[in-house]
Amino acid sequence: MSETAVLSIDRVNKRFGGILALQDLSFEVQAGEVLGLMGPNGAGKTTLLNIIAGTYSPSSGRVNFCGRDITGLPAHKLCHLGIARTYQIPQPFTSLSARQNILVAAKYGGKRGDTLELDEILDLVDLLKQKDTIAGDLATVSLKKLELARALASNPTLILLDEIAAGSTEAELPRILGMIEEIRKMGKTVVLVEHVMKVMVEAVDRIIVIDKGEKIAEGTPGEVMEDEKVIAAYFG
Amino acid sequence: MKIPRLTTLVSILVLVVLALFPVIGVPGNWLNYLFSFFIYLALANMWNLLAGYTGLICLCPHAFVGLAGYTLAIGTWVGVPFQIGLIAGAAVAALFALVISYPVFRMKGIYFAIGTLILPEALKAWFSFWRPVGNVYQGMGAGYSVAGVAGFTLVDRYWLALAIAAASIFLVYIILRARLGLGLTAIRDNEYTAASSGVNIFRLKLSSFLIAAFIMGLAGAAYYIHNPRINPVGGFSISWLLLPLMATVIGGEGSEEGPIIGAAVVTFLRFLLADYGAWSLFIQGIILVIVVVTMPQGIAGLLRQVGAYRFPQKLFQLAEGKIHKT
Repeated sequence: MSETAVLSIDRVNKRFGGILALQDLSFEVQAGEVLGLMGPNGAGKTTLLNIIAGTYSPSSGRVNFCGRDITGLPAHKLCHLGIARTYQIPQPFTSLSARQNILVAAKYGGKRGDTLELDEILDLVDLLKQKDTIAGDLATVSLKKLELARALASNPTLILLDEIAAGSTEAELPRILGMIEEIRKMGKTVVLVEHVMKVMVEAVDRIIVIDKGEKIAEGTPGEVMEDEKVIAAYFG
Repeated sequence: MKIPRLTTLVSILVLVVLALFPVIGVPGNWLNYLFSFFIYLALANMWNLLAGYTGLICLCPHAFVGLAGYTLAIGTWVGVPFQIGLIAGAAVAALFALVISYPVFRMKGIYFAIGTLILPEALKAWFSFWRPVGNVYQGMGAGYSVAGVAGFTLVDRYWLALAIAAASIFLVYIILRARLGLGLTAIRDNEYTAASSGVNIFRLKLSSFLIAAFIMGLAGAAYYIHNPRINPVGGFSISWLLLPLMATVIGGEGSEEGPIIGAAVVTFLRFLLADYGAWSLFIQGIILVIVVVTMPQGIAGLLRQVGAYRFPQKLFQLAEGKIHKT
């Protein structure tokens, strides 16, 4: 493992009953990098995020975070160590206001370094005007932004974004790309799962393509798009 | 000096008036009714803390009440003063909660509910045969009387129950405005998101569970100081579950005033229907069904919906404005 790696996945397997969701997966994410995870539906992208964030533990293999073995640690511990995530389908605290939603992460997420003010975070994701709205009353687009705000509120080193742009209109994409760029400027490391190609191509430094739980390609967006295995995985 | 909020003043005023009831000559059976109300209120408040704010459908308040009652009763037989027995009873209830927390917290939702429901049944069976002090039991299972409480008058008991009820309200008030309350609400709303936001779910649920068990134990022990006779069927009776459950659901789960309103309704019904035996439960059941169907948020939810709080709130704001000006 190289010294600058924030996250290192080492021969990770995940088995659900008879199904092997992840097979011998290994890769590293460097500090400050934006890494894209790509793959057809059911390839194992979300499973991988769940393993990194501590929702599942791997069947075998190791996960290292900032040089520390974090394999199998519970989700709240990983949050304290500096890993934050968003959910593909927004999972807000429905009875709390937008501001209270991110206050939970700010109060419980551990105290590393200078945390942004809550209002700054809300402003970053364009939710400042709706900060007192109960999350249960927010529209889906706003809930996606709230996911991002909550992930930022615990001041993480590594941030996992699960399809943050899915369901957005073409007109909203530049704003989402802008948000990812701002997160990168804060010096945070990002792992991004995304189906929206525009986001993949414009936001990430490097892409890893997974198919049926195995890594089939790795490289810059340009390299990956031309890879025959990737084309085969997507178009058969 | 900062002028205290008007709502705080009104709460203190109500508390003082209630505390003065015995002194100004309120009849004894009224004190009896109010005693029950205070005990039910404390139980309902704690049940609401678990169900309404932590997302734990805890079906074992009768375990806490029974254990506290037995600790108190057995204590007085070996020379422990009942004042210490009261605290010891609550502590044993909390200790029991701590012991069972590891297995029951591994279950979620309905499984947690069922898992907790069998515990008091097991305790009931255990206490039917286990008799650590005193003679071999005669009738009524392994019953014990609580010794040495004769000098503790009805007025004293009334004040004790009032103090426990007030403490339970104050405790919930503090918890909900502290970091713990925010974490508990987060858990109730979404456990996965709470965990990935850094909330240690086990620890927070445990805190809430221990607090609730302690206060429920306190209320249970106070009840057995008032009615100084305990047996397994009564101590571990499912009524100790149904009362706070009905009070919370009728009053409004997940609201602070809900259990207070609900406990008043339940106490009223209990004494009103006391002469009808089994019919009483039947009628209470029908009322519960009607409430659940017509007002899912309970009476407190209905009051909020029709805006019943708006007028008093305006009045308070106006009054506070006047006070601050002078």
